[in-house]
Amino acid sequence: MGMILNYFIILIAAALLQFVAPWWMIVVVPLVVHIWRPTSYGLSFLSGFMAIATTWLVYGWYQHDASAGMMTERIAQIFTLPNPFWLLAITVVVGGLVGGFAAMTGFSFKMLFIRSSNR
Amino acid sequence: MKFVKFFVTALLTVLMVYALSRPWGPAPAMGAFLSPYTGFWQNWEKKYTASDEFVIASDSLREEVVVRFDDTGVPHIFAQNDYDLYFAQGYVTAKDRLWQMDLQTRAASGRLSEVLGSGTLKIDEQSRQLGMNFGAEANFEIAMSDPRSREALLGYAAGINAYINNLKPKDYPVEFKLLGYHPTIWKPIYTMYMMEQMTLNLAGRSNDINMTNVLAEYGKDIVADLFPDYPKFEESPIIPIGTPWNFDKVPTPIATPILEQSDTSAAVFNGNIAPLMEGTPKIEGLGSNNWAISAEKSNTGYPILANDPHLELTLPSIWYQVQLHSPNMNVCGVSLPGVPSVIIGFNQNIAWGVTNVDADVYDLYKIKFKDSTMAEYWHDNQWKHTQIREERIQIKGEVDPKILKITYTHHGPVFSKTDADNNTNFYASKWIGREPGNSFLTFYGLNIAKNFEEYREALRNYVGPAQNFIFADNAKDIAITVNGKFPLKYKNQGKFVLDGTNPTDDWQGWIPFEQNPFVKNPERGFVSSANQSSTDPSYPYYLNWSFAPSERGVRINERLAKMTNANADSLRHLQNDNFSVMARSILPFMLDILRDNPGTSTYNAGFKILSDWDMVNSPESIAATIFETWMQVLLKAIWKDEFSSKSLELAMPSRDRTFFMLINEPDAKWFDNVTTPQVETMPQIVLSSFSATLDTLIARHGNISPAWQWSDIKEAEIRHLSSQIKPFNAPKLKTGGGASIVNAITKTHGPSWRMVVELGAEPKAFGIYPGGQSGNPGSPYYLNMLDKWEKGELNELVFLKDKEDSNVRLTSKMIFKKN
Repeated sequence: MGMILNYFIILIAAALLQFVAPWWMIVVVPLVVHIWRPTSYGLSFLSGFMAIATTWLVYGWYQHDASAGMMTERIAQIFTLPNPFWLLAITVVVGGLVGGFAAMTGFSFKMLFIRSSNR
Repeated sequence: MKFVKFFVTALLTVLMVYALSRPWGPAPAMGAFLSPYTGFWQNWEKKYTASDEFVIASDSLREEVVVRFDDTGVPHIFAQNDYDLYFAQGYVTAKDRLWQMDLQTRAASGRLSEVLGSGTLKIDEQSRQLGMNFGAEANFEIAMSDPRSREALLGYAAGINAYINNLKPKDYPVEFKLLGYHPTIWKPIYTMYMMEQMTLNLAGRSNDINMTNVLAEYGKDIVADLFPDYPKFEESPIIPIGTPWNFDKVPTPIATPILEQSDTSAAVFNGNIAPLMEGTPKIEGLGSNNWAISAEKSNTGYPILANDPHLELTLPSIWYQVQLHSPNMNVCGVSLPGVPSVIIGFNQNIAWGVTNVDADVYDLYKIKFKDSTMAEYWHDNQWKHTQIREERIQIKGEVDPKILKITYTHHGPVFSKTDADNNTNFYASKWIGREPGNSFLTFYGLNIAKNFEEYREALRNYVGPAQNFIFADNAKDIAITVNGKFPLKYKNQGKFVLDGTNPTDDWQGWIPFEQNPFVKNPERGFVSSANQSSTDPSYPYYLNWSFAPSERGVRINERLAKMTNANADSLRHLQNDNFSVMARSILPFMLDILRDNPGTSTYNAGFKILSDWDMVNSPESIAATIFETWMQVLLKAIWKDEFSSKSLELAMPSRDRTFFMLINEPDAKWFDNVTTPQVETMPQIVLSSFSATLDTLIARHGNISPAWQWSDIKEAEIRHLSSQIKPFNAPKLKTGGGASIVNAITKTHGPSWRMVVELGAEPKAFGIYPGGQSGNPGSPYYLNMLDKWEKGELNELVFLKDKEDSNVRLTSKMIFKKN
C-alpha cells in the first residue's frame, strides 16, 4: 500500500514540479518522499522508477504525438535510432533509473536513523 | 551495513546525475536534453490558426504594435514609429531564427570557440585577422551617429532581447540544446557583423598573388593574351553597349610599374604574422540574376521586375520574409536575419533587387618591414609605424583567452606567405569590408522610396559589397545602377600584387557616385544583370579585369529582347530557364571533331546522346551530365599541365578565353600536354577528354543509364547551417540548371530567393525561397516552401494596406503592448 501511495505522491509532485523546476526534480522528489515515507529497498526503487518513468513516458509521448514526430523523428536519426519509439524508450528508462536510485537513496538515508529492529 | 547501502545507492545516484549533467563528446548533457519537460521533445510548433492571439508586453516599446501572420508564416508588422517597427521585426525574426542569428554573428565576429571549443579556433582567428571586427566597429560608430540607423539598430536589438528574455531553457532552439550552450544578449553591433559576413561572402577574395605568379612564370605578353581585361569570346554587359557616359571623368592615379616577383625583398624573419589564408577561387554559382522589363514589354501596362540572388543554400534559409508598415513606410520582401529593414522587395510604388558586382575591392600590398620587430614599414619614402590590434578569443573549457596580436599598416592587416624556396613575403590586405559607411541607409531609403530620384538618393549611401541595384516603379521607370564604393584606380590596379611602399598604389578616393555605371529606361526596353561585366571597355574607370562568366547574362538578355506582352509568369519561366548557352557556344564545334573520329560503342553512344540533346539542363538529362563533366575535364586537360603543376599557385585562364582558343586558335601551344614526349593537338585533346569523361562517369555511376541523369549527378543539397546535423538537412532534391545556367542551381548554391513584382496602381508580387520562415526543424514552417521552390513555382505575396486589411490567408495575430 505504502509503495502504491508513494508512487502516486511522486508521480503527482514530480509531474507538477518539472514544469517549473529543472530536470533534476526527478532526483529530489523520490528522495524526499522516501525519507518521509520509507518502504523497503526494492519497493522504493520500484515506486521511484515507475513514477518518474510514467511522467516522462506520458509527457514525452504527448509531445511526440501532438507534433506528428516532426522533431522526434529527426532526433532519433541523429542518435542513429530506427524510430522515435526507441528514443522514448531510452528516455523513459533513463528517467526511471534516476528516479529509482534517488528513491532508494532516500530510503537508505532514512534507514541510517532508524534502528534496524524496526524493519 | 546500512551505511554501506546508503553509500552505494547515494554514490550511484550521484554518478548518474553527474553523467547526465555533463556533455559527452559531441553529445549534450543528456538529463536536460532527454527530459520531456526541458529537452528536445519541447521543440515543435503548431500551425498558426486564425483564432490565435498572442499578447507581448514590453517596457521598451513606445506604442502598440500589431503583427499578423499569413498562411506561409510570414509576419506583417504594423507600428506607429520606426523604433517600434524594428523592435517587432527583431522580435519575430528571433522567434523564428534565433540560433541562426547567434551562429552567424559568432562566425563573423570570431566568437564561435567561446561556445563550440577549440575546434572552431581556426575560423575565429581568420575572422579576426581579416579585420571583420575592425570593419564592424567603424560601421557601428557611423550608424549610431544617424538617427535613422540608430533607431533601427536599437529597436531591433531591444526586440531580439525582449524575445530572449522571455525564454525559459525549455524554449531554447533545439540547436542550443544539442550543442550545449544558451542564447546571450544581442548587441546592436551584431547587425554590423552580419553585414560584414555578407561582404566577406560576396567580395572577400583576391586572386592577386596567383596572377603575380603567372606573370613571374610566363611574362607580360602571355598574361595579356591569356588573361584579357574583357571577355574575348562572348559578353553581354550589364549596361547596354552604346550607353553614353555623360560626365567629366575625375583624374585616376598614374599607373606604376607592375611589381615583379624579383622585387621580392624576402625577409628572413617571420615574427608574429599570420599566414595568408589559402586563396579560395571564385565560386561559380555565387552570383545572382535580376531584370526589369518596361511597360511596353508587359501586358500589365507597367514594368515587371524579377530578382533571384544565388547564395549557398542552407537551412535555416538565408532570407526571412517580412512586411514592415509604419506611418512613412509600407514595404514587403525579404530581410537578412540580424539586419533590420527589407533587403530585396517592393512597396506601393517601387520594386528593387540586387545582384553581386564582381568589383576588384580586395587588394594585396607587398610590405617592406624595417626589421623583425615589424614596428615600422617603408611607405612614401619614410618608415611608418604599424599599429597592433589585440584580439581576445575565449575558448570553451579554457580559462585564458587566446590573444592574437594583429599588425596593421594603413592599408590593413598584414599576412605572411612563405614560398617553395622558403622565402617569406608580407602582404597587407586592403578590403572594402573595412571601409566605414552606413549601408543600412540605402536599404532604409529603398524601403520608403517612391520614385526613381529617391531610389538614386538611397543608393548614394551604399559602401559594399557592391551590387547591381535594379529598379522599377509605377511611374513606369526602370533602371539599374552598378553601385557601391569603387576605389579610384588606374587600369588593372590590383590585378596583380601592389607595391606597399609606393603611395601611388594606395586606394585614392572613390569613383563619384553619379559616375557609377547606370542606365535608366534604355532603348531596348529592359535592364538586367547576372554578375557579368558591368560595362563594355568604353567605361572610363577600372572596376575589375574579370567578372562572372557571361552565359547567364547572354541568355537573359536574348530572351528579354524577344519578350513581348509579358506578365509575371513569363518572368518566372525565365528564372527557371535551363538552356545551356555554354553548350550552344561550343558543343557543335566539338561534336564535329567527334564525328570525324568514331570510336568504341560507348563512345558512340555518348556522341549520339550529345548530338540529340536540346541543350537544356533538365533534371532528367543525361546529355547535360556528359556535357558538364566533359567541360571540366577538357579545361583541366588543356591548362593543368602548364598552370597547376608548378610549385607556385597559378591563376588559370577563363572558360571564355578557352572557348575562344578552341575555335579561333586551334594551333595554340597550350593544347600540347607538356608532361608527355609527343605533341598533342587540339582535336586530340577534345577526343581524349571525351573518352576520359565517359570513363569517369562509367567508373562512378556504371554504364550509361538513368542513373546518369543530371539531377542525380549534380546532387543539389540544402544543408543545415551546422553542416553536422544531417537529419536537419532538406530531403534530396530533383533540380536542373547549373552554374552557367539562368536557373543557377549547383550542388551547394542556387536561387536563395526568387521574386517577381508586377508594378501597378496596386503592386502584385510573387516570391519563394527553399525552406521556410521557421528555423525550427520541428515547425510546420521549416520546409513548407521547399516543394514549390523545387518545382519552380512562386507564392503570391500577401501585401496588406493596413492592420485592419482583410485577407483570407491571414492567420494568427501578435500584439505588442507597452508596459
